[in-house]
Amino acid sequence: MSEQQLVTVTIDGTPVQVPKGTWLVEAAKQIKREIPVYCYHRKMGPAGLCRICLVEIEGMPKLQIACNTAVTDGMVVHTQSEKAADGRRAVLELYLLNHPLDCPICDKGGECDLQDYAMAYGQGYSRSVDPKVSKPKAVDLGPTIVLDEERCVVCQRCVRFDDMIVGERELVLKDRGVRNIIATANGEPYRHNFTGNVTELCPVGALTSKTYRFKSRPWDLRRTGTTCTQCPVGCQMHVDVRVGVVQRTMSVEDDDAISDGWLCDRGRYNVGFYDDSERITQPMYKRDGSWVQISWDDALELWAAAISDACAVSPASVGAIGGGRLTNEEAFLLQHVFRAKGVRNLDWRAGRQRQASPGRDGGKLVDLESADAIVLIGESPAERAPIMDLRIRKAALQKGAKVIRVASAERAYPAQIPSMDVATVAEAAKNLPKGAKRIAIVWDGCDAALATSLLEKMPKDARILTYITGEQPNARGAEAMGMLPFCKPGYASVERGLDAAGMFAAAREGRLVVLSIFGANPALHYPGFSDTRAPFVVVSDLFMTETAELATLVLPAKSGFEKTGTTTNLAGDVLPVNAAQSLESPAEALSDLEMIVALAEKLGVDLPVAEEVDAAVLRHLASAPEDFTLGDERFVMVSPSNHPEEHRKARHEGLTFRIIVQSRILAGGGTSAHDARIAELRPLPEAAISPEDASELGVSTGDYIDLEGDATLHDLLVEVRPGMPRGSIALIGGLPDGPTNVFALDATVSVTNIRQAPEEAVEPIGAPA
Amino acid sequence: MPVVKVLTEGIGEANLRDIKVYRERGGYKQLARAFKEMKPADVQAMSDKSGLRGRGGAGFPTGKKWSFLPADVRPRYLVCNCDEAEPGTFKDRMLLEETPHLVLEGILLGAYAIESHHAFIYIRGEFKRGYGIFMEALTQARKAGFVGKDLFGSGFDLEVTAHRGAGAYICGEETALLNSLEGKRGEPRLKPPFPAVQGLYSKPTVVNNVETLAYLVPILERGPEWFTAVGTERSKGYKVVSISGHVQKPGNYEVALGTPVRELIEIAGGLRPGRKLMAVQPGGGSSACIFEEQLDLPYDYESLQKAGTMLGSGAIVVMDDTTDFVRAAFNLVRFFAHESCGQCTPCREGGHWLERVLHRFLENRGLKSDIEMLARVSHEITGINLCPLGDSIEPFLASVLKRFPEQFEARVARETVRA
Repeated sequence: MSEQQLVTVTIDGTPVQVPKGTWLVEAAKQIKREIPVYCYHRKMGPAGLCRICLVEIEGMPKLQIACNTAVTDGMVVHTQSEKAADGRRAVLELYLLNHPLDCPICDKGGECDLQDYAMAYGQGYSRSVDPKVSKPKAVDLGPTIVLDEERCVVCQRCVRFDDMIVGERELVLKDRGVRNIIATANGEPYRHNFTGNVTELCPVGALTSKTYRFKSRPWDLRRTGTTCTQCPVGCQMHVDVRVGVVQRTMSVEDDDAISDGWLCDRGRYNVGFYDDSERITQPMYKRDGSWVQISWDDALELWAAAISDACAVSPASVGAIGGGRLTNEEAFLLQHVFRAKGVRNLDWRAGRQRQASPGRDGGKLVDLESADAIVLIGESPAERAPIMDLRIRKAALQKGAKVIRVASAERAYPAQIPSMDVATVAEAAKNLPKGAKRIAIVWDGCDAALATSLLEKMPKDARILTYITGEQPNARGAEAMGMLPFCKPGYASVERGLDAAGMFAAAREGRLVVLSIFGANPALHYPGFSDTRAPFVVVSDLFMTETAELATLVLPAKSGFEKTGTTTNLAGDVLPVNAAQSLESPAEALSDLEMIVALAEKLGVDLPVAEEVDAAVLRHLASAPEDFTLGDERFVMVSPSNHPEEHRKARHEGLTFRIIVQSRILAGGGTSAHDARIAELRPLPEAAISPEDASELGVSTGDYIDLEGDATLHDLLVEVRPGMPRGSIALIGGLPDGPTNVFALDATVSVTNIRQAPEEAVEPIGAPA
Repeated sequence: MPVVKVLTEGIGEANLRDIKVYRERGGYKQLARAFKEMKPADVQAMSDKSGLRGRGGAGFPTGKKWSFLPADVRPRYLVCNCDEAEPGTFKDRMLLEETPHLVLEGILLGAYAIESHHAFIYIRGEFKRGYGIFMEALTQARKAGFVGKDLFGSGFDLEVTAHRGAGAYICGEETALLNSLEGKRGEPRLKPPFPAVQGLYSKPTVVNNVETLAYLVPILERGPEWFTAVGTERSKGYKVVSISGHVQKPGNYEVALGTPVRELIEIAGGLRPGRKLMAVQPGGGSSACIFEEQLDLPYDYESLQKAGTMLGSGAIVVMDDTTDFVRAAFNLVRFFAHESCGQCTPCREGGHWLERVLHRFLENRGLKSDIEMLARVSHEITGINLCPLGDSIEPFLASVLKRFPEQFEARVARETVRA
């Protein structure tokens, strides 16, 4: 940190010392003096539009706006003088001139800056006797946001957010003068991964979320601070509950270290799943091919007996998969119980990702802002870790970092974000800024060879910061807690057991007898997963997932809103998960921790007490994994596609394509599929293809195709995407109605049955019937 | 003879749009001399010594404006503001249409003075004819070697780009103009930073009015002393004034600064027979009125400022006893409300409010209480806006409310809304 020059400014008689150049509005906060603002925002700086932050500064004849006034030494400021108060009063009267004053039906009522300032600084009446300007009251801006034009105070925070923070420039100001309105560019729907933030930025009730409109009043909400567990970024957030139901989630404004004060649309809107009617409410046992409800005691007995019996023969016939969706404590106890029984077949990896801990060069999220270059390999964080993507955009937009994507099949970044796409890691290395001192590498944890080859090409004198984005929120915690076939807690080496792929193969061959799966859905996510049936499969989950359907015993689990513990984000921060106050869960649901504790009791395994678990979690997460980095060979799995008998070949003559599976933040088999509130946001199964391949095939955007390889996928909506590598087709992973994992990793397919509409209409799962 | 011919020399007599005619009359000689014999700093010094002040409205000393450019940042841009839209002003349009080469020579001299290799002229959208004329002049000048690479063998490259506005008064404000020139929404920028530091494309930029730049040509030709020989202590030289309203010969007249207002009205043919002068708006739609007893005021920046009004762009609107001052006030307020970009609150909301109230007066539905309210509200929205547009509403309205309250009272229907 460089030494900053301090200056002293006197605000309402109180001297305050702040760094030179501090905005007056921020300096006032230090002495707890609130200067009202609408357009100013700490993350976006002054805009000078709302004119409500007027203050009197000695030596200046006119009132000044505090947001765009940098303090100077000896400045004397009055925020409460008669002149300043009169200026604010006049401006507030102007705000209310055409405001509809529909506070009784406004969602913002009770947390509205216009209400609050009108009470604090307004005159309580209007001198206007003329009718108000009327404007449209419920303008649909897109799938998430509704605009009330009459309530809008035209502070342009939303427009500036879209420009300065997101870089998409989808929101614009239209018309002029008193007819000014917020609109979307070219009238297109307002749609990206961060739209919901504008509802929090909006100081009034102009921009509201469709999921929260007319649902609650702020004073009726019970608020709990927690960590979002929808992705591995770990944004801090508030969960607001009323009548036992999560009404909304909100960002934590001062969470500078992780979320930077923002939430993505999944964290904000995908919160209706936990009270979905399809939630599993009781333990289920498959007897003679059909499900019967059983008691927890019976379920635990059956489970413990199966494990004990199998372990008595050989612990190698028992395995457990999961941990990436559990808390640190749950993952720790999970491996503890199984390892106590001699079981070594443990793995959290149930999808495409192979590694979650970046090892010795792991960076923190804020470090991205000081990187000279950010190289993205594999899938970019755009859909896997959106708020990290926002930080990358910030680094590029505001700090001048150069973003380089290697062999990306994704849509291009908006033009105003300095970024480039290259085909190979060699090209990426060649295009690094000259003399780059800090280089961040962001990898999706899948293709180890890609990661290691990039690392080798990095300049030797540069500081490298590494990040792994992931499919599961607590994958890094699960690894640190020892849910790996070759590591105990704290990454300590241990004799190797079977990894997930090995367990699936062993199950098919009859060598694995009991498989317990916690919060994982390999039947939808594991590439090349084919009907893997062990004699006894136990699944703990919220919903009857594709994996649960294959199980013998299904246990009703609690969601992240319903339990307490800690989680680890992709940057290694240990973050609190708190059960939301006054939230109602299905009565029979247990947290995985409760299940594991009960199982341990039945198995006769001693568990450490809670304090010991907490200490162990922190100790193991603090242990610096100095001996590995991205793409370490120990993390490489036995991929089914490496099996010679399963090696795939194009079966057809002509054009064949390599499959690339991509994440979409609102795809996903569990929480997203079972959330009616966001049905409109869920993507349909689509296939992205390069313009060259499209013209050769004779398909265009909007057509439907089938893909045929060793299996067939039907009714994929074609998107012709410039920049797609030739010879590839990108599919969205995790959609129950388009399970991409019928194909193995790097499978080859051909395109069949090109047509203009699907043969049967595709209904998104969970959409109202 | 109070009317002079400097910039207006030859207008109406010769076809100055033809570069041959313009050159025969001495055109582009100063440009050649500057490039061949003078350093940019010499041109700056001449302008500085002449005391030339901005003729667009603010009257800021031109040399001082140039001196704010940071010494070490390149490129620099010169932008000629030809978005003339101030109510009552039509001098730049005349210069553009009648003597486009003088305008261009001024731009080239200004750009050379500040060492800018790319100058822009932002032409009001409605000046379609003027744009065509200027483009033709630009083509001729380029052919003659006055625009482009290595001018006059000096090694100095200078390109000129003309850009048409799209019909917004606010784009005459220099930062809104720069936004519009960059292809953005035409709305003023928050200052600081000022254009001299971060202007067009975030580079140091000077924005000068058409007339200001045009005066560089005669100043170079005749020397700064010629310019300072007329005018008052701080308002030097000449000015093209646009006189309109209730005069017999409305039009543009070039005069020495400091000429009494009474004389200016006479120059424009005086009032119609039998009419009585009621008010004069001396500096465009944004200025407060002066009245009969103030007609001997010298027409210069300081005297008018002292009298509570301003010289502005030099647009003099004369109003006689046929004037409906309620309608006149409504007309101007409606103009400003209509032209408000709407980004900042006092101008957006306040202007519209006043327009609606005045509209009620036009329909004889005023309230007694409105009269005081009009004065108070127009005052409250002044001085707290992001740009000067919002501050332009009060002066005329307040001055006629004070002078002619009976015209407003005559249109009052009731005491208050409840009475």
